[in-house]
Amino acid sequence: MTAAAELIGVTQRFGSFTAVDEIDLVVPSGQLTTLLGPSGCGKTTTLRMIAGYSAPTSGTIRIDGVDSTRTPPEKRHLGMVFQSYALFPHMTVADNVGYGLKLRKVPSAERRARVMETLELVGLAHLADRKPKKLSGGQQQRVALARAIAIRPKLLLLDEPLSNLDARLRVQMRAEIRRIQAETRLTVILVTHDQDEALEMSDEMVIMNEGRIVQQGSPQQVFPRPADRFVAEFLGYENFLTAADGTPLTIRPEHLRIAEQGQGLDAKVVDVAFRGVDLLVSLDVVDPSGATVRLRADVRNDAPLTPGSSVTVIAPDDHLVSLPR
Amino acid sequence: MKRPITAALAVIGYVIMIVPIIFVVATAFTSGSTLRFPPDGFSLRWFDEALGYEPFIGAAISSLELAVVATALALLVGVPVTLAVHRGKLPGKSLVEGLFLSPLIVPELVVGLALFQQLMVGLDLDNFSTLLVGHTALMLPYAVRVTGASLALADPALEEAARGLGASPLRAFFNVTLPILRPGIFSAGLLSMVTSFNNVPLSLLLQGRDFRTLPVTMLDYVQQSYDPMVAAASTLVLAATVVIAVIAERTVGFAKIFGGINQ
Repeated sequence: MTAAAELIGVTQRFGSFTAVDEIDLVVPSGQLTTLLGPSGCGKTTTLRMIAGYSAPTSGTIRIDGVDSTRTPPEKRHLGMVFQSYALFPHMTVADNVGYGLKLRKVPSAERRARVMETLELVGLAHLADRKPKKLSGGQQQRVALARAIAIRPKLLLLDEPLSNLDARLRVQMRAEIRRIQAETRLTVILVTHDQDEALEMSDEMVIMNEGRIVQQGSPQQVFPRPADRFVAEFLGYENFLTAADGTPLTIRPEHLRIAEQGQGLDAKVVDVAFRGVDLLVSLDVVDPSGATVRLRADVRNDAPLTPGSSVTVIAPDDHLVSLPR
Repeated sequence: MKRPITAALAVIGYVIMIVPIIFVVATAFTSGSTLRFPPDGFSLRWFDEALGYEPFIGAAISSLELAVVATALALLVGVPVTLAVHRGKLPGKSLVEGLFLSPLIVPELVVGLALFQQLMVGLDLDNFSTLLVGHTALMLPYAVRVTGASLALADPALEEAARGLGASPLRAFFNVTLPILRPGIFSAGLLSMVTSFNNVPLSLLLQGRDFRTLPVTMLDYVQQSYDPMVAAASTLVLAATVVIAVIAERTVGFAKIFGGINQ
């Protein structure tokens, strides 16, 4: 596995605010890496430093093994898709996509061919002569993608590319971006605050919080083993309890089971919310350390539960994750 | 009507602004020889007279020259300033913008008197040059405000996108920023020209025997004779102004030009 990009001790300060705090990051070549985190975690700043739009306060950025820390964006040969798409409103779709090739002095016949080939890839060849304003949000997004890909960039950088699309289109585009990545074998860095998007799309996910990288790995590695409480909460682990020896534990609502009696934790049903296929049950549970904690269990609809009733909650060992103290 | 008071004020405002104009336009079409309302009959004879009256035509050409050159100068100074204010890392941005908008607030008579003392008396400049300086200063707020409005609406990521695709900063400016600003610059130019062409206070203070603008010439004319030719000339100027204002509205929109009215 070779590194397409490498960040070494990279820090970005804006006045007294530290947006990115000495991060080290290796972006594997030919894969899709996501930078995931809540707003203000430094993920977009990191992407913008890789793209060259803002110079780090300190640290080194290598692209393809070459120190590019102070290289201006126009000399980096990267493809960037902006959250707002940033399509040139006065140019047609084809001229937008061909702009980077024109700057590289690709002869016009070859340019036209490559523009059409790229538009073909995103399924928009029939709209080549339209102005961006005449396109839907999803189509604009594909044009932005095509424009970034057309120059055959060293890295494809996507800044929250799906956040301006409606829910259904967003889910479609996830698969679409994966397909394009697989076909072009580009190294992709995608910034998102949506954990589902990151889990579904990533080869490698990098979770950031307060300017630092808190966990990195494949979705299969990260999802079942969140490194700390922040990551656990971010990935939808809602339940936090404490073991008899004081170790903090967490478990997902769908992994808790409720029984009328038997081996488990004593609990009292507080609230039952009907959600069609399942029930979301709030419970006051006495955890192994003896403290009473409010937990939520996602259980099948057929369980007869009423608020106030006493039950037993079972937290299977293989789903309990211990967190650092 | 949800807001009767606002609506009533709006109606009163329109009446106060428009009724006098209707009187002028109506009297311009009179066939009589006095400036009187209601007009005696209908004819275009006073338009004919106005278009054939040598001092008016000469002054109109002077006014147009002044308007065009002053507008060009104002845009040449104002557009780069706007770019620096909006996109650059300029210290004291709002101070700079305030300075360039201040001609809107300072009374024109004060500006005129200052220019008269400093440039005409002090530096012995001719009155066209002095007028040019004055009008250029008056036009600056339009250049700054209108191009600023279209710049504020443009996505700053556009320039970054061009840079990322391989354009140098200068190239990104000419390929992307300038084309986006073009409608704004165009309508700033139109508005400046109208404002310069119709300006009275500065032109009155800085007039000279060799160079006189149309409004000042019309004012002189009214002082001597009181016939409908002046109404006809005014109507022609009004018509031209309306046409230009409509074009400006179509390209950028007044709400954006004067900022914040509809937001």
